[in-house]
Amino acid sequence: MQLSDRVTGGVLVILGGLAAWSGSRLPAVPGQDVGPAAFPMLIGSGLVICGALIALGIGRSFEVPEEDATEAAAPRFHGLRALIPPALLLFYMLASEPLGFLLTAAIIVLIGAVALGARLTLAVPLALAAPALVHLAFYKLLRVPLPDGVLPAPW
Amino acid sequence: MNELLEAVRLVAAPDVVIAIIASAIYGLVVGSLPGLSATMATALLVPVTFWLSPIAAIATIITASAMAIFSGDIPGCLLRIPGTPASAAYTDEAYAMTRKGQPEVALGAGLWFSAIGGIVGTLSLVLMAPLLAEMALSFSTFEYFWLAFLGLMCATLVARSSPIKAIASMLLGLLIACIGMENPAGTPRFTFGLTDLLGGIEPIPALVGVFAVSEVMRAMVTAEPPKLPHRKFGSILAGQWKLTKTYQWPMWRGNFIGVIIGVLPGAGADMAAWVSYAMSKKFSKTPELFGTGHPEGLVEAGASNNASLASGWVPSLLFGIPGDTITAIAIGVLYMKGLNPGPTLFTENARSMYALYLIFIIANIIMIPLGIVMIRIASKVLRAPRASIMPVILLLCAVGAYATGNNLFSVLLVGLFGILGFVMDRNGYPVAALVLGIVMGTMVEQNFITSLIKSDGDVMPFFERPVSAVLAAMTIGALLWPLGVWIWNRTGGRRLPAQGAAE
Repeated sequence: MQLSDRVTGGVLVILGGLAAWSGSRLPAVPGQDVGPAAFPMLIGSGLVICGALIALGIGRSFEVPEEDATEAAAPRFHGLRALIPPALLLFYMLASEPLGFLLTAAIIVLIGAVALGARLTLAVPLALAAPALVHLAFYKLLRVPLPDGVLPAPW
Repeated sequence: MNELLEAVRLVAAPDVVIAIIASAIYGLVVGSLPGLSATMATALLVPVTFWLSPIAAIATIITASAMAIFSGDIPGCLLRIPGTPASAAYTDEAYAMTRKGQPEVALGAGLWFSAIGGIVGTLSLVLMAPLLAEMALSFSTFEYFWLAFLGLMCATLVARSSPIKAIASMLLGLLIACIGMENPAGTPRFTFGLTDLLGGIEPIPALVGVFAVSEVMRAMVTAEPPKLPHRKFGSILAGQWKLTKTYQWPMWRGNFIGVIIGVLPGAGADMAAWVSYAMSKKFSKTPELFGTGHPEGLVEAGASNNASLASGWVPSLLFGIPGDTITAIAIGVLYMKGLNPGPTLFTENARSMYALYLIFIIANIIMIPLGIVMIRIASKVLRAPRASIMPVILLLCAVGAYATGNNLFSVLLVGLFGILGFVMDRNGYPVAALVLGIVMGTMVEQNFITSLIKSDGDVMPFFERPVSAVLAAMTIGALLWPLGVWIWNRTGGRRLPAQGAAE
């Protein structure tokens, strides 16, 4: 995920340009000079300038390089593991209504723990206990309507 | 006086007392775990505050954040891993003291001077807020625009990263705040036809994503921190009175700087710690001892970051402009509980304000005994494997985001903001600036556009009123500060001492 400043700066230039362009196409309020378009255009232009400066490497002297050597020896697709948490959140969004909170949460905790290197003797009890506790706290105490799905909670 | 008694009664209510104790323990534990920051601890508390009474809700936020800022010093001191960004400034120093065999002195200094800083910060809040409230009553949209803009600029003066990247992060936050129809004209913008985006991006899912999910993602790709060796500590507070007397002057300077930085909208505890540490080294009689396990910098920076925490509530309570990411969350809770920030809060709702001051003082006093217990059991708490904590945090992120609006779309947003925060952090873009941009975007735009409409598109009125002229000068100063430092370094050759602030 370490990208060069050229890439991130370029992305910001494109994003800013798009924001300013689509902002300029917003309908104006009749009889007013400044409307909903002004702010996105201002921010978009600012992003274009900042992105260009970053791509040119200006301001680098202020940065302190991170002394993070723990990742250096990682195998090639190791970095993709970082996408596991967002993927699990996506899974929660899709599955929590059909499957129900308890089952979905148990799967998330199990996968998360195993991905972090937990042994099954730790991951399985955790996947059983944590969803139940969270459900009790949020459903009973905080009255959040967590979905029942196929496995309704016994309380 | 009646108001004060009323406030005591409010704080002594059983639910408030339980809230204070529970959130103190929660804050201490979460703050001490490496990677789980004070902001994240506070963000995950928000769904819980829905269910509490207004005073109890504020009590949880205040107590948990104060405790987490202190206990961030524990892993910093023992493992050289800062528990929260606010401890990063003096982690090396504290660890050097541990290696010299004085961990109890370093931890005790963190605890004792955190508590003093917190109390001084609270007193400054008590003194300053009503005075400023008088002034704030005469503020118009011009002043509010400059205040909010100043807050955004201060948020970009983050330690150790490029100011241009910080400004870019802030602009990105403002752009995200443009999404939806919460703008002066009520026109839907950047919604891509999704009804879920019409209401805009809520700050809480963004905060949880950027601060919590990205941390779980980082845990996936980094090695587990080393286990803490079990050790016996000597008396924790024994040497502190001597330190207080020896370093009295640095301590007050730390408190003072912390208060000033806290009052500035947008600049928070981590900046206060960096500035104070650099300041301490600059003015010390023995600067060569810094970095070798010398308590002077710890005293000053430890006091400073907790002082800024309390005074950071000044702009939040008066103007609704967050002093840092923690108060950005607190403002949301204040609105939710009907305590809308603004100068009238101090006249119409004085007893709630007194209650808030009392909670601050109580939190900083109980920090000392609870902190000692925490230090003693730290080796056990830090032994909990990361693989068992992080999945639960992830689950809490999902449920917490869902609970803010009973909306599954928020869960997706949390995931997306997690990716954004992770990528930004990896590439040196400070995420705090992004978050403050998102939180303050609507306010900046509202005041900017209203002011422009009032002045018929003229820019001059932005500088004509006396207060707005001062605020404008401060904002432009903050904008040009990195440029000044850069030119100075180029021409003078001597590194500026305040580099720690702008670097």
